[in-house]
Amino acid sequence: MGASMAEPVSTARSTADQGPAIEFLQVSYRFPEARACAIEGVSLVVDPGERLGILGPNGGGKSTLLRLALGLLTPTEGRVRIFGLDPHQARERGWLGWVPQRIEAELRFPLRVREVAMMPALARLSPWVRVPDAIAANVDEALGLVGMRELAERPVGRLSGGQLQRVMIARAVAQKPRVLLLDEPTVGVDVVGQERFAEMMRGLHSALGLTIVTVSHDLRTVAASSDRVACLNRTLHAHTSPEGLTPQVLAEVFRHDVLGIFGDLHIHAHRPEDCPTPEPPRDAEGASCCGHDHPPPTTPSGV
Amino acid sequence: MLRPRSPSAHNAFGGLNPAAFAPNSELSPVQTIRYLTDPDLAAFAWPGVVAAAGVAVVGSVLSIFVVLKRLAFIGQGVSHAAFGGVGVAFILGVTGVAAVGASSHEALVQDLGLLAIVTAFSLLAAMAIARMARRRQIEADTAIGVVLVATMALGSVLLDSAARAAAKAGRPPPPSIDGVLFGSLASVGWTNAIVAWAAAAGVLLTLWMLRRPMLFWAFDEPAAEAYGVPTRRMGAVLLVLLAVAIVVTMRLAGVILATAMLVLPGAAALRLSMRWRHVVVWSVGIGLLGAWGGLILSFETDLPAGPCVVGAQLMLFLAAWTVGAARGGAR
Repeated sequence: MGASMAEPVSTARSTADQGPAIEFLQVSYRFPEARACAIEGVSLVVDPGERLGILGPNGGGKSTLLRLALGLLTPTEGRVRIFGLDPHQARERGWLGWVPQRIEAELRFPLRVREVAMMPALARLSPWVRVPDAIAANVDEALGLVGMRELAERPVGRLSGGQLQRVMIARAVAQKPRVLLLDEPTVGVDVVGQERFAEMMRGLHSALGLTIVTVSHDLRTVAASSDRVACLNRTLHAHTSPEGLTPQVLAEVFRHDVLGIFGDLHIHAHRPEDCPTPEPPRDAEGASCCGHDHPPPTTPSGV
Repeated sequence: MLRPRSPSAHNAFGGLNPAAFAPNSELSPVQTIRYLTDPDLAAFAWPGVVAAAGVAVVGSVLSIFVVLKRLAFIGQGVSHAAFGGVGVAFILGVTGVAAVGASSHEALVQDLGLLAIVTAFSLLAAMAIARMARRRQIEADTAIGVVLVATMALGSVLLDSAARAAAKAGRPPPPSIDGVLFGSLASVGWTNAIVAWAAAAGVLLTLWMLRRPMLFWAFDEPAAEAYGVPTRRMGAVLLVLLAVAIVVTMRLAGVILATAMLVLPGAAALRLSMRWRHVVVWSVGIGLLGAWGGLILSFETDLPAGPCVVGAQLMLFLAAWTVGAARGGAR
């Protein structure tokens, strides 16, 4: 891991009174039966209201990072905090909205769009309590923000893939989360669809002021919907603005010469600080993974 | 007047059924009325009618989850495991029926004893299936197949052993394998009917209490987990509810046909509506209609009740399928 990546990185918008939205402090995770870590020594701070993109190749640990933020995985080393709380507590309070990479819902269920969007909020409700008007109002607002209000009574099994994704986003924001986590939201979406998605997310961000973390291997998606980009391929390789994603940074993160693949994107000239010294090759058996040579956790400078 | 051919055969599974009654010339053309009004026959018929309603309601509600969560095959595994559980219970001397002349308290203890042993055995089998499938040691359908045949073989051996032991000791023989496999209306007494309704009430209350997280889990398990629903607990609870439903259905329909009552109503209802609440109402309606329609068929034809109930539900499923197809198909 590059030395510059050991320190948690924050942005100027972090304020002392509010604290960071998400903190990863020297987080490593190794799956139970794996020899190598999926992610290693990741330190990262996301500020309230920030839109962070996490870019990296398939298998680079992006989804693992999201699952750690959701509290579905517990770090092998380090710690994760959501607005100062353990992710489990944050999840129980409804602070986390999640949009999955693949929609694995049973679409044969006889459920309407509105019923699906209401599920996370209802799941936390006591069985003795009738559905409060506030929840119904929040669902209507969320469906409106993603342009699905007119289809609120349509069975989910009769939606297109794009419509279904918008329902999943509405489901995530209808419970009024403080953080929205999107896992590969534009997989299989064409260029026009990606642009529409980015526009919708911009509208959602300006309307709700959410902290949004978008994970993707697609540079276009990340560049279009993020204020800041973190490049992840097991370790963090760079934090930069979307314009700072130079061909050299991308080549390092993807371990492949991607110059030309993203030729239609406006990429600024190479900035040395965005391109850390490449790591030495890791032991194939993962012997160095989750080792104890990480620097001790530090308090992020922006907190 | 109908009389039982062998009143001593009032055991848990293999004893009386409508076919065991010898018809005579006094019989009404509408035998169902006779069964339900004649004082002697009503004592055998009504507990079955009441119990059938209980197991039909609970089976109908659970069947929606079974169909949508694709649990029909695991339901088969659990119900066949119940056969092994019956074998274990019989070997332990718990046949679900008190001796002739015993008090109602003893009958209740016997019935609950059988229910507990068979449910526990079925759940152990279900957990074994789930464990094998979760660890990817073998595929889920292979795990179900292995457990299914193993428990059937075990049940067969234990039932045979129980019969030999009873003969050697000069005790009345335990219920026949046919009765365990296909059920018997006349084996359902008032104690069984009350236990069936109590179990049904417990299952329905649990489902009502968990309806919101359970629906979320059933619809989208990964998302439910991400939003804090205890998904493993939901899966375990549904498995327990399925096992209880299968065990209380077993007396009426037998272990082989019990799962049919946990599939057909939901499958039919899903052909008729795309609204969750309507599907629940349709499913319960179809389940009840099938159960009572099947009993009427059984009374009128002197055929065993279990196959008649399942046959009636199958007819309703085919009708719903046809209606659904004509309307463009709800599914």
